[in-house]
Amino acid sequence: MLLAMASTSVLTLLDHYSDIASVDDLTREFIAESQEGLDRMERCLTDLETRPQDSAQLVGEIFRAVHTIKGTTGFLGFSRLEKLAHTGEHLLGSLREGRLAVTEDLISGLLRLLDGLRAILALIETTGSEGTRASDDDSALISELAALNDGVQEIVTVAPVVAIKANEESSPSRPAANSGQTPAPAGNASANNDKTLRIDVDVLNRMMNLVGELVLTRNQMLQSGVEATSFPELARRLDSVTADLRETVMQARMQPVGNLFGKFPRMVRDLARTCGREVRIEFFGQETGLDKSLLEAIKDPLTHAVRNSVDHGIESPTDRVLAGKPAEGCVTLKAFHQGGSVVIEVSDDGGGIAMERVLAKAIERGLVTDDQAAEMSEREALQLIFLPGFSTASAVTTVSGRGVGMDVVRANVEKVGGSVELESKIGIGTTLRLRVPLTLAIVPALVVRSGRQSFALPQTTLMELVYIPARDAAQSVERVGAAEVFRLRERLLPMVWLDRLLDLENASDSHGFYMAVLEAEGCRYGLVVDDLLAPEEIVVKPLSAVLREIGLFSGATVLGNGTLALILDIAAVAARAGVKPAIEEEETQAVEVKQENEESFLVFEDKARERTALPLGMVERIESVSLGQIEYAGGRALLQYRGELLPLRDDGGVLDEMDASGARDEHESATVLICGDAVSRTAQRMGIVVRRVLDVSHGTLLDRNAASSDTELALVKDRVTTIFRGLCGDQGGWREVA
Amino acid sequence: MKIVAQQTDSIHDDGDSCSLCSMYAGDESFGIDTSKIREVLGKRELERVPMAPAFVAGVVPYRGDVLTAVSFRALLGLPDSKQAGCVLVLEDDEGQERYGLVVDAVGGVVTVNRNMLEANPCTLEARCKWLFEGAYKMQTGLMVQLDPQKLRPSRLAETGMFSQGMAQREVA
Repeated sequence: MLLAMASTSVLTLLDHYSDIASVDDLTREFIAESQEGLDRMERCLTDLETRPQDSAQLVGEIFRAVHTIKGTTGFLGFSRLEKLAHTGEHLLGSLREGRLAVTEDLISGLLRLLDGLRAILALIETTGSEGTRASDDDSALISELAALNDGVQEIVTVAPVVAIKANEESSPSRPAANSGQTPAPAGNASANNDKTLRIDVDVLNRMMNLVGELVLTRNQMLQSGVEATSFPELARRLDSVTADLRETVMQARMQPVGNLFGKFPRMVRDLARTCGREVRIEFFGQETGLDKSLLEAIKDPLTHAVRNSVDHGIESPTDRVLAGKPAEGCVTLKAFHQGGSVVIEVSDDGGGIAMERVLAKAIERGLVTDDQAAEMSEREALQLIFLPGFSTASAVTTVSGRGVGMDVVRANVEKVGGSVELESKIGIGTTLRLRVPLTLAIVPALVVRSGRQSFALPQTTLMELVYIPARDAAQSVERVGAAEVFRLRERLLPMVWLDRLLDLENASDSHGFYMAVLEAEGCRYGLVVDDLLAPEEIVVKPLSAVLREIGLFSGATVLGNGTLALILDIAAVAARAGVKPAIEEEETQAVEVKQENEESFLVFEDKARERTALPLGMVERIESVSLGQIEYAGGRALLQYRGELLPLRDDGGVLDEMDASGARDEHESATVLICGDAVSRTAQRMGIVVRRVLDVSHGTLLDRNAASSDTELALVKDRVTTIFRGLCGDQGGWREVA
Repeated sequence: MKIVAQQTDSIHDDGDSCSLCSMYAGDESFGIDTSKIREVLGKRELERVPMAPAFVAGVVPYRGDVLTAVSFRALLGLPDSKQAGCVLVLEDDEGQERYGLVVDAVGGVVTVNRNMLEANPCTLEARCKWLFEGAYKMQTGLMVQLDPQKLRPSRLAETGMFSQGMAQREVA
């Protein structure tokens, strides 16, 4: 069913730069298709173990994959492949007809069939033939499969459902040779996947249409010339066509993360047996899309991480039971979007990372000294795991513990502009979080100027911007020793002067300077620059090796005005300036304290001479509404807003005043705060007419106004301010009108 | 571009002759084999790269790529010029690395006989000895031949001879 769909509505694009020399297009297509079939087969096989209730459907799918291979090989003349596939098909046929039961031996046999088929495919891909050497003999495997087929026919009662766990326990150390064979063919399979991409014909058609439009627009531009009146309109069209085209190309490159997850069940199954663990793997968010090249880039780190979880994370079944946990451990893979990047979490419910062991190991390996270790916070100690040559596994196993691991994971993820976080609780488990950008090529960035040069800061690292006027500079920049800090909402933020750090010429002027509050890899600091330019979506261009070695720039980009700007590597700048990761616990505490005593308010003026404020959470939007849009019914002001009728509250009499001051001018406009109960969304929304919006600020509540339960007094920026609450309490009458 | 086109007309494959594009830095004239030059961009303002090795003049956009430009004046130990330099785009034989070379001015194309190349004088200081291939005796004076392979930024970084502030050292 899946195969049919694949061949009708999906095209296989093959990269012609591939180094497959002696293989024709037809064979290449066959290999790509077969490998996909085998990937599906692998997924189904591991599913078959965990979900025996779906066996009919799963076996059907496996059968089809092998059958297709058999059918096509006969046609292409690969007899060795055909013979093996035929034996497999025969076995699967018996399984499908219910003459065989799903046993662990059977699954292992089928997995070996899968490896065998993959090995032959890999051989065809590299050499163009399926090999005739003595080592390329499948008779052992074929007879094994045949034996499976014969042997189990003697089973009298046909049991389609089998408890696999019982089987696993009875033979805990099943052939490890099995897992030893897998890596090579799997690696070869992925080499081919790198170069081909399946893409929906619809997407391709849309791309072609857009390219056509692009050509048309270009022709029109060339014909009309820059002076023509239609030029701005053409430029706009060019803009929208380029944006559409870019989006479509991105869409074509997007692949669901599930493609990557697919190979893990098999890996975890094999690993768990080798290590004597019981492990179940769960997936969430498999449909999350990620750029094809990024998907390839995080494949190895993710494999490492899953391997670590099974080998180091999950304890042995007996230890787990002793610790009061179920014998079966669980590795969870979760993918989701968060703020312009994709987060992939690998978490296990294993023993967690023992901090003392990490520190002891680090001291033993000479990575830190005793004194350094004693001063380290938990978070810093966890970071040690990412140092090269670090591994806490006391015994070196075949799976992991050779001292390569987390440093490679981090290096690979950072190479594509991502980051890695690690969280661990003793006895509860470990979570590794890989954060990667949605796409590599185009990044939203803020362009800043410092020392007469432009630099781009990636928006993902940018927390906020602070303008410090020259007259306030002396006050707001404070010193701790030689280090300069800025007091940002009662927290001290280290300041880094970009021009000083990069040794640029000082282009100081009188107006003041800007500070970009940046955060990368847990480091938060304020980067001081001379000026801010527009935010831009920049196309990242790599720098030459010589310039990459400087280590401060992650690339360069051509700006809209045609000049170049270097893209700053925020984490590297932090490291160069000596900014250390902030300790997280402190941070969360600070936030909690703030929430208890303080609240954010939108401060505005409605009645003359009085400051009024609303809790910021209640204000949805600030709109400028022309007086003509405000209508009246029953003596009350109403506003039609996005298909809703909002009652307007005008305590300050702003509307009357405006009416009185001049004729009802259509162009005159009033500022309206659109308010709603953001938390419960039960109460009706309403608009508040104000004179002007003043500020957003923190405030402390002073007193509850006795006269009215709706209002309270608060101290906002050291000035007494009335606070509205329970806005929608007295709106009973409004509903009838609306 | 024009120079490259001109060169293709004038070249006659008689083995010994080769055409060089002449260029100037300071008071001297230099020549680079025209087949190694992809394009002459002309006078360009370069975007400087802070903290880069002294021989890097900056970066320059070229056909969708960002090229690293080598300052030839810095290689010779001359102080920075006030005026914008002329940028040439060079490519090594395998076409793997493209880079820019900034000189004071670019002249024309001259055809020379390979056999006429005079070796570097033994009294030449080490850095120049490494950079120069030798010199041709022209009517107007000597023209030093350069090897584009050696001017590659990565190669220059490898040698370590030009990395740190040699312009300043020379001035002092």
